[in-house]
Amino acid sequence: MRLAEPLVSSWKASLALDFSFADQKTILSRKIHDGPLVVQKPLYPEGGGVCHAIIVHPPGGIAGGDELSLTARMEKGASALLTTPGAAKWYRSAGPWAKQSVAFDVEGTLEWLPQETIVFDGALAHSEYDVNLVDGAGLIGWDIVCLGRTGSGERFAHGKLRTSMQVRRDGKLLWLERGRIDGGSRLLESPAGLGGEPVFGTLYASFAHCDKKILAAMREPSPIAGRGAVTLLPGILLARYIGDSSEAARRYFTALWRILRPALTGRQAIEPRIWRT
Amino acid sequence: MSLAKLLQLASPTLPVGAYSYSGGLEAAIEAGTVHDAASAERWIGDVLEFSVARMDAPILLRMMSDQKDWNETYLASRETAELRAETVQMGYSLNRLLKDLGMGEVPVSEPSFPAAFAYAATQWKIEPEAALQAYLWSWLENQVMAAVKTVPLGQTDGQKILLSLGNGLNVLVEKIKKMQDDDIGNFAPGLVLMSARHETQYSRLFRS
Repeated sequence: MRLAEPLVSSWKASLALDFSFADQKTILSRKIHDGPLVVQKPLYPEGGGVCHAIIVHPPGGIAGGDELSLTARMEKGASALLTTPGAAKWYRSAGPWAKQSVAFDVEGTLEWLPQETIVFDGALAHSEYDVNLVDGAGLIGWDIVCLGRTGSGERFAHGKLRTSMQVRRDGKLLWLERGRIDGGSRLLESPAGLGGEPVFGTLYASFAHCDKKILAAMREPSPIAGRGAVTLLPGILLARYIGDSSEAARRYFTALWRILRPALTGRQAIEPRIWRT
Repeated sequence: MSLAKLLQLASPTLPVGAYSYSGGLEAAIEAGTVHDAASAERWIGDVLEFSVARMDAPILLRMMSDQKDWNETYLASRETAELRAETVQMGYSLNRLLKDLGMGEVPVSEPSFPAAFAYAATQWKIEPEAALQAYLWSWLENQVMAAVKTVPLGQTDGQKILLSLGNGLNVLVEKIKKMQDDDIGNFAPGLVLMSARHETQYSRLFRS
């Protein structure tokens, strides 16, 4: 049985990774972890150029009072694809806030493609995401959130989700999104908000050469369920999903990633095997 | 403070091209989300509450008092190409007008519309709260005019929406004044999706 509120004191966990590039190979050159947040042995399913790494949070979910921190530094020339083995979860809280911060400093190329995050009813969740790119660096990432355990009919009636996402290039802010999402609020039902749908997601890509040709190609796929749309801002491409299915969001973003990856990195999109387990 | 200057700044005759932007409303009409007076009032009121009052408005207030670069934050918060182009073009037009009126220039590169509006209000010694009311009112009036033209709605319906949502502005302004930096947010995914879809909408009157 998994309790919504674990009977242990809160966990603080952090993982810091460095990826460097030498002899045509990206290597995980440094990892420092403290508490239950770890990286599995690096995989090279597409040769030495790109290091695939799976980030594992053994407790499986974040409870009130927990603090998780993931940071990664990509050195010049290094390319890594980071993903997770399953859905992340924010558990219901009896009072304290839970916090997760993810921060990347990128001189090479980073793909951050985690599986979805499920926010349990009653969670108090604070999620921060910051990326700093330098000139020549590349980033593709996505973020899929499901409010409530929809499989069992749960709605996000109580609780709070605070999100902050920022992407900078050479210090200049390219994109900022700050969400203040309260359980049971009008925002969840409003057509200008979530329109009654529990799942929302954003895919973002920032490369030196994000152009209108790629935008046009990205307008072709559409989600199997729910709604999607794409736009191109100065220096960053964004795609959005709203619907009732994390799976549909992931498939939609994967279809877009299959377009983006060859266009932006020159590499075919090879789906990490962990996504199929 | 001069009431005439406040009215001039809030007037739809201010030559910044506001009338050519619907800020996602036209796409909401195309999608059928907005189809009558009630659904127009709901959409406009919700965009006002979830987007304008949580992002534009608190940033406008801050732009009138401190020097931190809120303009960069505001521009980065524009979620689609059209929403960004809207504020950049209107900011550019207002900045040029202020220069032509001998009022100097907005001291940032690529001023957003709130940055230019805040600068104009400061130069004309309009009190921050009054400037905020004027900003919200002119946004509201522009949205209602777009709805009247496009849904379409009768003129009386338009005036009813203005009365109804206009009545809520005082309460909204009080909330906005109390907001901390951490409360500022721009999460309105339905609006963002509509605005992104407007970029490829076949038949359209508006540029956003």
